[in-house]
Amino acid sequence: MLERDVRRAALVARPETPARPQTPGEDRQRAMQRAIGALMARSKREIPHYYLSTTIDLSPASSWLEQANLERPVAERLVMATLLFSATARAVKRVPEMNGFFVDGDFAPSEAVHLGVAISQRSGGLIAPAIHDVEHLGLDELMVQVKDLIRRARAGVLRSSEMSDPTLTVTNMGDLGVDSGYGVIYPPQVALVGFGRVRERAWTQDGVVTARPCVVATLSADHRVSDGMRGARYLSEIDRLLQEPEKL
Amino acid sequence: MTTDEARELMRSVLRPIAPEVDFDSVVEGETIQEALELDSIDFLQFVTGLAEATGLEMPERDYPQLSTVEGCVKYLTSTH
Repeated sequence: MLERDVRRAALVARPETPARPQTPGEDRQRAMQRAIGALMARSKREIPHYYLSTTIDLSPASSWLEQANLERPVAERLVMATLLFSATARAVKRVPEMNGFFVDGDFAPSEAVHLGVAISQRSGGLIAPAIHDVEHLGLDELMVQVKDLIRRARAGVLRSSEMSDPTLTVTNMGDLGVDSGYGVIYPPQVALVGFGRVRERAWTQDGVVTARPCVVATLSADHRVSDGMRGARYLSEIDRLLQEPEKL
Repeated sequence: MTTDEARELMRSVLRPIAPEVDFDSVVEGETIQEALELDSIDFLQFVTGLAEATGLEMPERDYPQLSTVEGCVKYLTSTH
């Protein structure tokens, strides 16, 4: 099985609003699980993953977000995930080895950042369609696109380009309630960034302990393309960008 | 708005966001987000839907009150 099987399984249209909750299509679910399993097995077989994590202080981002949302009607409010996704995309400018494809024994970096966003389909599947050119999107536009992507992913109406061309994937596992998680890279991509739950943690600075909203960012990356040094540089860059949320 | 109307509004707002879930399965005390496995963006869509239907502003500081079914019903029946 190939990526395209996963894509095909994910693209099977489902009714946008069933009259009532249906018994989920179990065959489709099983087919999807098998396709994902095959792709992930291939990833683990072929990609020498390495893993890093760092805890990021989100105080400036949280304060900025709270302030920004005060002035916005509910339909235009932002969520923290948007800031995290934006920083993930912008950080590759300094560490381009995270963004692109490993094909035929070579890494082909991508100019644009097409950010795959892992979206769970409650019926059991997991897909990661792309938002295109995220490094050029402002937070408002990114938020609009994330909402639209999630809506269409759940409705089963994604474009095939969205399924086929993410250059880097991000998974926001915080919404599942866990502190952190390490993803399996989607071949032929070469990195995957995971964010855990945003929660208050004891933060020590200059010998003083304070409670601050924090998130654990993780990186799974391909050792054929980058190494721990570059991976660490990448996570630090995400951290740095999140300290200046007004610039995202 | 009556309790039944509030519940019906919540149900209709949730339907397009999470067609697979069973709204009536949420038990008292459970948060809607956890019980129905909504992510932060789904929850925002839920609040947006309620705000649009009622004309209420629903500032972010009110989100905790909207996090459970009982809280939501209370909010909708008392403010609208």
